[in-house]
Amino acid sequence: VISGYVGIAPKGDLVLLQRLAKKLRGKRLLNVNSTRSGGGVAEILGRAMPIYHELGLDARWEVVKGDARFFETTKRLHNALQGKPQEITAQMWEHYLEVNAKNAGRLDLAADVVFVHDPQPAPLVRYRDGGKWVWRCHIDVSKPQPAAWERVEDICRNYDAAVFSVSKFARYLGLDQYVIRPSIDPLSEKNREMEPEEVKSTLERLGIPGDRPILLQVSRFDRFKDPVGVIRVFRMVRKYNRCILVLAGSSADDDPEGEAVLAEVREMADDDPDIYTLLLPPGSDREINALQRGATVILQKSLREGFGLTVAEAMWKGKPVIGGAVGGIPQQIVHGTTGFLVYSVEGAAFRVRQFLNNPEMGGRMGESGREHVRKNFLITRQVRDYLGIWYAMETGGAMLEV
Amino acid sequence: MAGGPSTFHFKESATILKATGRSARNLRELREGIGRAPEKSIFHHTYEYFLNDFVLQYTNDFARWAGEFLEERALAERLTSIDPYESGGIEGVRKAILDVIDRYMEEFPAPRDVFPENEFYFNENVVLVFPVGIRAENLAEFLMAIKYVDPASLYYHFYDARTRLGGELNDFSAWFADVLGKKELAERVGLIDPFVHDLERIRGLILREVEEEVRRDMEGQP
Repeated sequence: VISGYVGIAPKGDLVLLQRLAKKLRGKRLLNVNSTRSGGGVAEILGRAMPIYHELGLDARWEVVKGDARFFETTKRLHNALQGKPQEITAQMWEHYLEVNAKNAGRLDLAADVVFVHDPQPAPLVRYRDGGKWVWRCHIDVSKPQPAAWERVEDICRNYDAAVFSVSKFARYLGLDQYVIRPSIDPLSEKNREMEPEEVKSTLERLGIPGDRPILLQVSRFDRFKDPVGVIRVFRMVRKYNRCILVLAGSSADDDPEGEAVLAEVREMADDDPDIYTLLLPPGSDREINALQRGATVILQKSLREGFGLTVAEAMWKGKPVIGGAVGGIPQQIVHGTTGFLVYSVEGAAFRVRQFLNNPEMGGRMGESGREHVRKNFLITRQVRDYLGIWYAMETGGAMLEV
Repeated sequence: MAGGPSTFHFKESATILKATGRSARNLRELREGIGRAPEKSIFHHTYEYFLNDFVLQYTNDFARWAGEFLEERALAERLTSIDPYESGGIEGVRKAILDVIDRYMEEFPAPRDVFPENEFYFNENVVLVFPVGIRAENLAEFLMAIKYVDPASLYYHFYDARTRLGGELNDFSAWFADVLGKKELAERVGLIDPFVHDLERIRGLILREVEEEVRRDMEGQP
């Protein structure tokens, strides 16, 4: 597994992985989350587990089980921690704790380090059986609903440390708080290298013409991703430039708001033959890879964002990117070096026009972006960071010889 | 073979970010934050800035934030001119930064807030230092190695060394002078300006100096 990353990931990361693993060999690592598939957390855990095993670590991945009421509660909790007013009754809280208590009885929680992902399984820490416990929070809890936060804070004080994706997503818990940025896997179907013929044939299959520059945004049909704003950008750009716009997103079947946004997008597109709205089924990784590789300029004009890993995916393909300055996007786009950060439709349109009319600049920023991702946003760096935190917690100190 | 005492062992440092829980929305809050931040945080935002691969416009995170997000370019320029290696350690750097901000706030006393989400977050680092498994016994081997090592290794030996060895010394110059007896080469490498190049450019400049030295040795020139 690891040999696949040689020549792709920075050499130092691979050396450090091996050295940390040597120090931690034979010790037990446990990850706990709430789903085996679907969502970015499960995806990256699935790809990290073989790396842990090949490094000789006794790594396990457990998943908490719960009924519909449990997941309705955790969904509300998830929203409340991200600032949305939600009603969570005393009975719901009780059920949430009960389900975790049952899971604690069912799961083997004995390990030298336990990474508990997100709020769903957070109360498992009450049943800790030795080892270091780390709460890995993947969501932005900087402005939570106070009542929900109070409960979670009370639970999370029992951890030894917390990990957030970006400093600004964190909330002070009185623990050591680390920052581990999410990552992409360069060997996955969504990011693997692709021959130009495969890109071409995939785009043809999707009905995307290859005769004009392509502006692309890949994201759910969600107001925070501002797809309607992207259409306005396209209209401003097209005044002086021949190009097409592709908005590619996953199916909105289970999301009533998503359907409404999709309807707005279609209305705004108004049967414009140069606007391609693609509803891709889950698992369309190859199609997304080809679209990103076939694009001329890639946008992520979000108004609100989690980490926004689609930006790193686009940069990995060497493409010039333009992103809203929200969430984790400024971590990925170094303004003027690896792409442009924008604050408005007008700003985005201006930057697209610059890229379309100055391909050399786009190529240069695209290359810088790919290198920035190689150094900072690959899975090997993320696994390295988890092992590094574990080692730091075992040994103590801020400067460690490995 | 581990190599003898004269061997140069290339090392590298990797960093893992720790959040301090402190942030700033405007210059006044940044000033307060810098005044109270732990030394490790000041160290991270100044000395460790050179680990970035986009250093050219600024020389520390405070200057970058002032320039990019506060859009106070004159302040960014003044903060960029602070030399952390000549400021008398971390407390000296802290004082130098505070002096610049205080003077600026006398001229422009009404700081504006940045756009939401563009706040400055005070962080610090856990540093993991490790040998990368590459070593050099002589200048020719060094020449091969310097082409091959990661930029993070260059950071460790060229920048981080200054805080370990004190002053303007870097590990490469120390080895050239103390082990190989090549004081001139050490001086030439020591003269490479650490504030205006990214790590790849630094690699190129060191390479050029060492290549020139090896060529002279081979041709038997003084």
